[in-house]
Amino acid sequence: MNLRILFVDELKGFYKSKVMLILWFGMPFLTLLLHFLNPDLEELPVSILVALLISSIGGTLSAALLSTSIANEKSHHVYDLFLVKPVPRYSILLAKYFAVYLCLIIATGISLIIGLIIDTYTSGSVPDYILQNTLDSLSISLAAMSISCSIGIFFGILVSSVPVAVILSVYIGNQVSAVSILATIFIDFINPSIFALIIGVSMTVLFIGISIIVFNRKQF
Amino acid sequence: MYSDKTHELINFQSVSKDYKNLLALDKISFTINKGDVFGYIGPNGAGKTTTIKIIVGLIRDYSGTVYFNGKDIAKNHYVIHKFVGYHPQNAGFQEWRTINHVMYTFGLLSGLRANVLEERIQKTLDFVDLLDDRDKKVKYLSGGMLQKLRLAQALINEPEILILDEPLSGLDPSSRYQIKNLIKLLSKQGKTILFSSHILSDVQDVANKVGILNQGKILRIGTPEELQNEFNIGNEIEIEYANDNKIFLNVDSLSCIHTLDKLASNKQVLHLKPEFNLDNAINQILSFLIQNKSKIRNFKTIKPSLEDVYLKYVRGEKQ
Repeated sequence: MNLRILFVDELKGFYKSKVMLILWFGMPFLTLLLHFLNPDLEELPVSILVALLISSIGGTLSAALLSTSIANEKSHHVYDLFLVKPVPRYSILLAKYFAVYLCLIIATGISLIIGLIIDTYTSGSVPDYILQNTLDSLSISLAAMSISCSIGIFFGILVSSVPVAVILSVYIGNQVSAVSILATIFIDFINPSIFALIIGVSMTVLFIGISIIVFNRKQF
Repeated sequence: MYSDKTHELINFQSVSKDYKNLLALDKISFTINKGDVFGYIGPNGAGKTTTIKIIVGLIRDYSGTVYFNGKDIAKNHYVIHKFVGYHPQNAGFQEWRTINHVMYTFGLLSGLRANVLEERIQKTLDFVDLLDDRDKKVKYLSGGMLQKLRLAQALINEPEILILDEPLSGLDPSSRYQIKNLIKLLSKQGKTILFSSHILSDVQDVANKVGILNQGKILRIGTPEELQNEFNIGNEIEIEYANDNKIFLNVDSLSCIHTLDKLASNKQVLHLKPEFNLDNAINQILSFLIQNKSKIRNFKTIKPSLEDVYLKYVRGEKQ
């Protein structure tokens, strides 16, 4: 019950934040821009390029957003008021994770749909292979973004200084989330989407799990 | 474990808490009864916030037992929160929230249903005089308004006890006056209040019971009057003489005078010996002045303030 209240609350806070505005409007705009600039994509469909861009930019922004918000709220004693209510500590972190991740999924969806529309418009129809590649890219993007979000939470909880938390979460988030793309480049025996989802889920659970343990031990 | 005293709301029994090498609370024991306004005073770092955080459940690893309404709070934390309103010292709110949003969220988290929440929010914001600003974002609020909002969120669930951690710190005089009036109003309504401060004048005219804490130990608990009377600091008498007066008092003039300060060429403050009855001392002094034909412009007695009592305790002059 309280997780739902906090989730709705965080969603209200995040969806109109400046970072999310960049994702809501910046990403679809970038998709359109790519079409009009018509760069040499070496036959790479716009939708796939968009998926890759989103996972990189969206992941970076969300990691920075989450680490900043948590480190800031810790230092301003925002959680003192929540924790005297019957609110389990894990629900505060999960509410943040789900709120940001949902915003990312929606922003990704909007941008990919625009990418697919552009591909349909330019080539008459969307061939099956483009659709398949787009879905693969989407699952890899979602996995990478999920890892980035969990790393943002991890450093937000672990580090007190906001700039340090942001630098660490952006840098390490980028490095670690890139693991989800490994299968597309180096591994042949497993479907890249399935690999990305397995890695995405396990890394997310690991980082959020550690964050919850650290948060539970914190003295307020 | 249950405590059986029915009028007790909070009962600390030999509670200690340490932070690694620092002993923040050292076996403190005290009771707050229903309807009490308990002024919890002590210098910064005395352990006031630690005590408060134990009551509200933010600190759970301590030794000793704390009862709320007879129930051990360590075992009943999730029940007790319903009866406690907490105003933390410096807690912030997320800046994107409006006043209304803060109240709505904390109302829901306190277990209030949406159908009663709107009415409760209106009533509470009206009480703290924030109703007209309910759509203002937190980031645009002044220090005084933020303190009012902290107080409002603590009142949203109509708690049995209100715990205020330094509610007047960092406020301008006008905001201090407003918040103090709100606390007085709540106390008149019969609300039990625990009110911490490092400034004694903050609690002096609000509290009916005062606890003095220093270096993790409770030095004394009593009503403000009890503390003043018990602490035999001695009274003072200020005498202002006429400009052409020639005969002044000195320490050896009378047996009731302990020490004497000269504030100006025609003004003296007599510190009386604590064991002397004030009325007898006044008689002695006036007789002396009349006999010696001293010309007096002003004569007034100064009783020790609670501030003096507090300082004496905190400085270790009385253990």
